[in-house]
Amino acid sequence: MKTSLQNSVRNGVVFGVVIVFLALIGFLVIAASLLQKMVGNPVGLTSMPSAASLLVFLGFLHLWNGWRVSHNKEDIDTNVPLKTRILRGLTAGVTTGLFLLVYALVVGTINERGVDMRVYLSMLSSQSIDFFLFNQSPLVGGLIQFGFSAAAAVVGAVLAKFADSGKDKVKSIQKAAVAWSDKSWLGKVKTNPYVSYVLIGVVLLLLVLVPRQWGAYWNYIMGTVGIYVLLGLGLNIIVGLSGQLVLGYVAFFAIGAYSFALVTAPDPHNLQFNFWIALVIAVLVSALSGVLIGLPILRLRGDYLAIVTLGFGEIIRILLKSDWLKDFTLGPRGLRNIAGPTLFGREFIGDIDFMYLIILAVLLALFIARRVQDSTVGRAWLAISQDETVAQATGVDTYKYKLLALAIGAAFAGLGGALFASRNQFTGPEDHVLMVSINVLCLVIVGGMGSIPGVVLGAFALKGLPEILRELESYRLLVFGALLVVMMILRPEGLWPAKRPNLEVKQPPPEPETDTRPAAIGGGS
Amino acid sequence: MEGTKRKRSLTLPQNKSGLFRLIAAVVVFALLFWRVGAVATVSQFGADTWLRLAVSGLILGGMYALIAIGYTLVYGILFMINFAHGEVMMIGAFGGYFVFEAFNAIPVTSADGTTLSLLNSYPILAVFLAFLVGMSIAALAGFLLEKIAYRPLRGAPRLVPLISAIGASIFLQNAGQLLFGPQRREYINPDLLTRGTGWEIPIGESSVMLTYTGVFSLVLSAILMIGLFVLVQRTKLGKAMRAVAQDKSTAALMGVDVDKVISQTFVISGLLAGAAGVMWGIHNQLINYFTGFLPGIKAFTAAVLGGIGNIPGAMIGGLFLGIVESVGPAALGIDFQLKDVIAFSILILVLIFRPSGILGEALAEEKV
Amino acid sequence: MSKVMLETKQVTKIFGGLTAVNRVDLVIPEGAIASIIGPNGAGKTTLFNCISGFYNPEFGAVLFDGKSIKGVLTDKIAGLGISRTYQNIRLFQNMTAVENIMVGFQPRLTQDWWAAILRTPGYNKEEKFVINEASKLLKYVGLEGLGDHLAVNLPYGAQRRLEIARALANKPKLLLLDEPTAGMNPQETDEMKEFIRHVRDDLGITIILIEHDMRVVMDISDQISVLDYGEKIAEGTPKEIQSNPRVIEAYLGPGAAALSEKYRREKTG
Repeated sequence: MKTSLQNSVRNGVVFGVVIVFLALIGFLVIAASLLQKMVGNPVGLTSMPSAASLLVFLGFLHLWNGWRVSHNKEDIDTNVPLKTRILRGLTAGVTTGLFLLVYALVVGTINERGVDMRVYLSMLSSQSIDFFLFNQSPLVGGLIQFGFSAAAAVVGAVLAKFADSGKDKVKSIQKAAVAWSDKSWLGKVKTNPYVSYVLIGVVLLLLVLVPRQWGAYWNYIMGTVGIYVLLGLGLNIIVGLSGQLVLGYVAFFAIGAYSFALVTAPDPHNLQFNFWIALVIAVLVSALSGVLIGLPILRLRGDYLAIVTLGFGEIIRILLKSDWLKDFTLGPRGLRNIAGPTLFGREFIGDIDFMYLIILAVLLALFIARRVQDSTVGRAWLAISQDETVAQATGVDTYKYKLLALAIGAAFAGLGGALFASRNQFTGPEDHVLMVSINVLCLVIVGGMGSIPGVVLGAFALKGLPEILRELESYRLLVFGALLVVMMILRPEGLWPAKRPNLEVKQPPPEPETDTRPAAIGGGS
Repeated sequence: MEGTKRKRSLTLPQNKSGLFRLIAAVVVFALLFWRVGAVATVSQFGADTWLRLAVSGLILGGMYALIAIGYTLVYGILFMINFAHGEVMMIGAFGGYFVFEAFNAIPVTSADGTTLSLLNSYPILAVFLAFLVGMSIAALAGFLLEKIAYRPLRGAPRLVPLISAIGASIFLQNAGQLLFGPQRREYINPDLLTRGTGWEIPIGESSVMLTYTGVFSLVLSAILMIGLFVLVQRTKLGKAMRAVAQDKSTAALMGVDVDKVISQTFVISGLLAGAAGVMWGIHNQLINYFTGFLPGIKAFTAAVLGGIGNIPGAMIGGLFLGIVESVGPAALGIDFQLKDVIAFSILILVLIFRPSGILGEALAEEKV
Repeated sequence: MSKVMLETKQVTKIFGGLTAVNRVDLVIPEGAIASIIGPNGAGKTTLFNCISGFYNPEFGAVLFDGKSIKGVLTDKIAGLGISRTYQNIRLFQNMTAVENIMVGFQPRLTQDWWAAILRTPGYNKEEKFVINEASKLLKYVGLEGLGDHLAVNLPYGAQRRLEIARALANKPKLLLLDEPTAGMNPQETDEMKEFIRHVRDDLGITIILIEHDMRVVMDISDQISVLDYGEKIAEGTPKEIQSNPRVIEAYLGPGAAALSEKYRREKTG
């Protein structure tokens, strides 16, 4: 009993700290306006969202608070009495509420004195403080927050009771549904081998039709997603398959973009190569740089490799930016007027054309990645990632395979970089900051290391979603960071984990020419 | 760790990688000597300039050393790079900043009628409190970091906690940006520690200034480092830390509370990083949410340089890196812009040619 | 029994101040089952590591099939035909059993990486061959039907057998088994013993064994070498080793040897 209440208090403290933090970074306002946008009542630029939307958002958090404490691991019996649950919920809610009350009093009082808190805490405008206090005095606003927290947490705790008792029912319904779908025509469809071909056909058709329909804005966003799929596939080979943690992946992206730009842009070298030749050059130069960098450093393991490659990425960026190479790369100004593709004399510069180009590149990369992964090479990489020493002793030329992984990964990045530069008709040092590496690493990990569908999913989730939820722009990296930690703790294998193929060839019952001796050991297994 | 000590012989390395390393080493050193030699013969700098650069490098190095110790302590015990350690330093810097701001905002009228801010009436108290708050907040951050982001991952494959650490680093940086805004903030020093003032030491015709802030930082970091050394070598906690670093399970069997020792290690690293953060603010004036990132990576370089896991190594590595970074661009005759390139290049070269660092054991090398 | 498969000459491995293996000479004839025994920490696994290339001995030579393999990288050694298993099982845990064995085929592969991307006919043929052979090996070690399970999910005994199957995949001439029966019950141990004999008889592979179970060692070894404190203190047939006083001393301490001598004299005389 005592420990369960302690648990509730602890949970309440966590929720209290989190909500105060969200208030301090201005997230409460953003979340409330997002909610309002979702119900079709967008907030004006200068005005604050309604109090109701704030209550809804906080309400969810408080319900969760109560829900979590309502039932905990220490309970031997799942059937915790309602009274205990209410008590737990109340404890947690009151604890959280106390945090909110204190916060309201402190911030509200300072605000009432007319001090502009934004000097110190940039998101804490007077408006947003009033919003938190429901335009009441600090004490009244704080008490409303306090009461709401306690009440909602109790409701959450009670709800959890019903959910717990309803769990078995839900499970049995699920089972019945699965059984039904297997029996009915759905089951036949699922096992039919042609279904996947039909699906692929539909997807291809969509990829052809959709870019014509949805306009330049969406083509731009989806093009970015496509380029990140390319990058993700490349890094997935390096990190996900061969297990080499490379943090300076952006270096290859930069090398691809710059080598493409330098041979096509009119300034500073005026080489003006053809797009396709330049593309090949960019890919080759990137792959080569991957090999050259790999030669000395691939002997290092894990975290050392990570830091060295991170340093390498930074070196490339600083050099591109420096005055030292200014004559060669134009320094911080970057390169402009980079060529677009031409085919049979026709210029491809429209967003639709570029979308098709990116789609083609992604399909090609998917094809290659898929084939390498399901081959002797992919298996060698996996073996290296799991136990390098043993992989080598088993006969895997680890050095060669690691170099190969780096080269292929770098080539993908080079392709992505070249397309990126060509589409934007510009590339500069600020396109190649460390954050690109981190973003790509995030999408690979969130999607699931070593999983190709995971990469695609991750690219959409991490590059596509934030574009759609523009309001969250400034919170994106914050969420990424938290997401990485949470993923590592709860689901290190990612959203769409890699699966191993079934390969065993079932041996036919005793044949004369193969081994007829009964299995020498453990015949009974 | 057996297998790692390989006798160095004069025979040529037998594998490809080793051969490339050898060639690269020769090339790098030849280039380095040629460049330094070329610059030295036509150098426009006098002795005073070199000394000035060296002194400022030493001061910077002291801060690197304090942060580097944090990396080394954690690495020694958990075999992980605490990637978010630079952010812990940033948090410490902000802790000190707010103390100075608060002191500066309160006016005090003294007996003779002049009105001074509290900061200048009680400068020593202000500095003391700034360090106290900065160090405690950083220590708290380190403690929570370990508890939330690393402890649940103990025993996981090595990449997992590293990724978690990267995540924590991104989170803290952006939390800092959202809370305090992206702009740089100016540390308000008490008049006692006004930047740009100090003792003039005449050198020939010119002179070199030892700034008050610099000397203060250097002395304080020396004191903290000695304190840490005593703590690790002489106290029970230090003994427990060394035991856990050697072998966690055996230490646990001997009655050492491993979790507690690890927590305390993070607290100690946080204290040192926090102190470095406040010094950074006092000496370098401007801080923002990104303040911790580069010093963090460079301090890690320093830790590797000295041999990661080795405390005196981290100190030496930090001082060395600070001086190289400061003197290097001039000695190589390149743009000062490229000082970060020098730091990173040193990291890469050290890891390639001597992964064990100056004083350390070969941890980066192959293990069986 | 004329040809020598493996020979170590004065092999010495030093860690810091500790000489883990000290001037060890071994001569293993082709087709033999040779055992290396000795108390814990005697340097047995270190010697294995010197043979399979993990360690580069400070001194001495390792000759395999007449050629020196000292300082050769482990993957090349595997390619020459030396395979090994590990004291604490080291499989590729998140790969399936069949895939684990397929990795073992690496030294025998002829197709390069670009063939894998292009899926050339040669590559497809080789891939099919490898899958087939791996499945056969799986059956050979008695794991038929478990091929698509992740290695980490297999029971302990199966993991040990899978490790041997992986070691057999490169058609080794010499197989190093590091405590193959560790952690097994008597019945499993007997099965493993028979299996090792079969591997030698069917496939003609020379086997070196590190083993603590004396029943296994005495039953199947043609030759036994005893290490203590890194030095070889005895060598011979099981019979000779059983009555060697230095061996008894190493295992049971001084005094035990004298005691056993006395006991034997009393028994015989």
